[in-house]
Amino acid sequence: MTRYLFRRLFLMAFVFLALSLLAFSLSYLFPGDIVQNISGLRQIDEAQRQQLVSYYQLEHNVLAQYLAFLQRIAHGDWGLSFASQQPLLQEIKLLLPATLELAAYALLLSFIVGIPLGIIAAFKPHNLIGKSISALALVGYSLPIFWWGLLLIMLFSLALGWLPSAGRIGVLYEIPHHSGFILYDILQADVKYRIEALHNALQHLLLPTVVLATFPTTVMIRFVRDAMLNVWEQNYIKTARAKGLSRGQVLYRHGLRNALLPVIRQIGLQFSTLITLAMLTEVIFSWPGIGRWLIDSIYQRNYPAIQAGLLVISTLVIAVNMLTEILHALFNPLARRG
Amino acid sequence: MSKFRLYLEENNRSPVTQLWREFKRQHSAMVGLVLFISFFVISLLAPFITPHDPYLQVDDLLLLPPSWSAAGLVQYPFGTDDLGRDLFSRLIKGTSYTFGFALLTVAGAMLMGLLLGALAGMSKGVKSSVFNHVLDLALTIPSLLLAIIIVAILGPGLMNTTWAIMLALLPQFVHGIRNAIDEELQQDYVIAYRLDGANDWHVLSRLVIPNIWEKLTIMAAMGISTAILDIAALGFLGFGAQAPLSEWGAMISDSLDLIYLAPSSVAIPGLLIFTAVLSVNLVGDGLKTAILKRRQN
Repeated sequence: MTRYLFRRLFLMAFVFLALSLLAFSLSYLFPGDIVQNISGLRQIDEAQRQQLVSYYQLEHNVLAQYLAFLQRIAHGDWGLSFASQQPLLQEIKLLLPATLELAAYALLLSFIVGIPLGIIAAFKPHNLIGKSISALALVGYSLPIFWWGLLLIMLFSLALGWLPSAGRIGVLYEIPHHSGFILYDILQADVKYRIEALHNALQHLLLPTVVLATFPTTVMIRFVRDAMLNVWEQNYIKTARAKGLSRGQVLYRHGLRNALLPVIRQIGLQFSTLITLAMLTEVIFSWPGIGRWLIDSIYQRNYPAIQAGLLVISTLVIAVNMLTEILHALFNPLARRG
Repeated sequence: MSKFRLYLEENNRSPVTQLWREFKRQHSAMVGLVLFISFFVISLLAPFITPHDPYLQVDDLLLLPPSWSAAGLVQYPFGTDDLGRDLFSRLIKGTSYTFGFALLTVAGAMLMGLLLGALAGMSKGVKSSVFNHVLDLALTIPSLLLAIIIVAILGPGLMNTTWAIMLALLPQFVHGIRNAIDEELQQDYVIAYRLDGANDWHVLSRLVIPNIWEKLTIMAAMGISTAILDIAALGFLGFGAQAPLSEWGAMISDSLDLIYLAPSSVAIPGLLIFTAVLSVNLVGDGLKTAILKRRQN
């Protein structure tokens, strides 16, 4: 296991190196003035330009520039946003929790709904319930998420008026910013209208979470069903049945443990898709997260923001990937060889 | 699986015929195949079969409702948009953009993936290890982010986002192909063939490729459904197909501000995207089941 961990960490270092190289080269690839692209300043006079060129080591060779870039990133000097002229790192710190919150609830929902449905579908593959679960999963798997989001808004917000269609919380509620996770912040906040605010925030959360969870849930159903069908054919299941264990016991002790193992890995593999979908969901529901911010950045040609977004989101995905791989290896000795 | 099979059928048909027999038995897969073929044909023939010019703006017929409503015209089955363009013709034309480009994207990604996957699968040691690590990085960048970066560098457009989606699909293809080749190379008949004096190229072209093509088709089917969804999503965000092009996702975002006046102009393109993806997924699932059953027999 230690050897495996070392290998993984070495690999991670390599991946981060490649990622930093990619992010570094972006300021040169983007159109426009290089000093502007790196600093994020819109108006640069001649004296300031000289100062910046020497600060970014632009008069030296590429290697020196790259090292200077790494140093800046490590010190938290990520440049300014073209749009707001605010430090990028500060902006990201405000936005990232909103995205994480949404993605986490969607992932949780997909587990809660997806795994039991997958197991039911695997147990009754030929009767009506199993077939309809499989069909439902296929439909959910094929839905274009932005259209699905629009349909739900049309139904629940415009036609029925039950749920709000945009934002995280109603403008009536003033919640001080602590962690950025809205539910946690509300519970922490020392205000009179805490219960109402919580209710309102949950209402805002419901539609985006359901929309974002649709795809992971269907993936989970299909994956668990296939894994379960596969495991149920194995000889050790027959042995367990033959020695007299009840169906529930076999399911819990032998079936689930083996079938759910690959699910851990699946989370890591699906995480980058989840982030893509979260970005789209944020756009549709005007959710103030990093995805909407990035998509706005491209409309505004906000190149420093795109670079910073790449760094943050990729780091997040790589971290989740590594974590799930290591967890998987922890539970499954067979995976440690690779 | 019945335990008593008295009349064992002689099964000497070619693998493709066996596969087709298993595929044909699944009704849902056949429905998917019919839909898939019709989308394919429409995307090929789109310029010739549109009843009206998809870009012609008719001033007298702005926002005509669909033909099933009382105010609609039968010549314009789905009505017209706010510029007086026939929605039906635009949707037909859009098939080539959303569906056709998805096929092209996957074909391109598959070719590149086959090349790189073969290189990675047939090589050993450091070369293969470096390859894996680079792939790991590529797998971690979400496809939309990759598209944003490419659009930032090259500017928006259908072609540029096609490259982005191709790049986003490539790593999973290379990964899958590499694993499939790896698995194939473990087989005894590969060793036997090598002992007969076959070199890498012989092994790859005569043994490996014919044995992994089933996996390739499944990968391609999954790739096509992803590609359709991605092209439509990027069109919806305005990064992909630009203004006059009637890509389905772009059509949804065009008619978004008319959602109260003409909800059908949002609903119908979305329904088409959904149907196209569903047909691909049905075919993919059918193929998967058919291959499994063929292997079992």
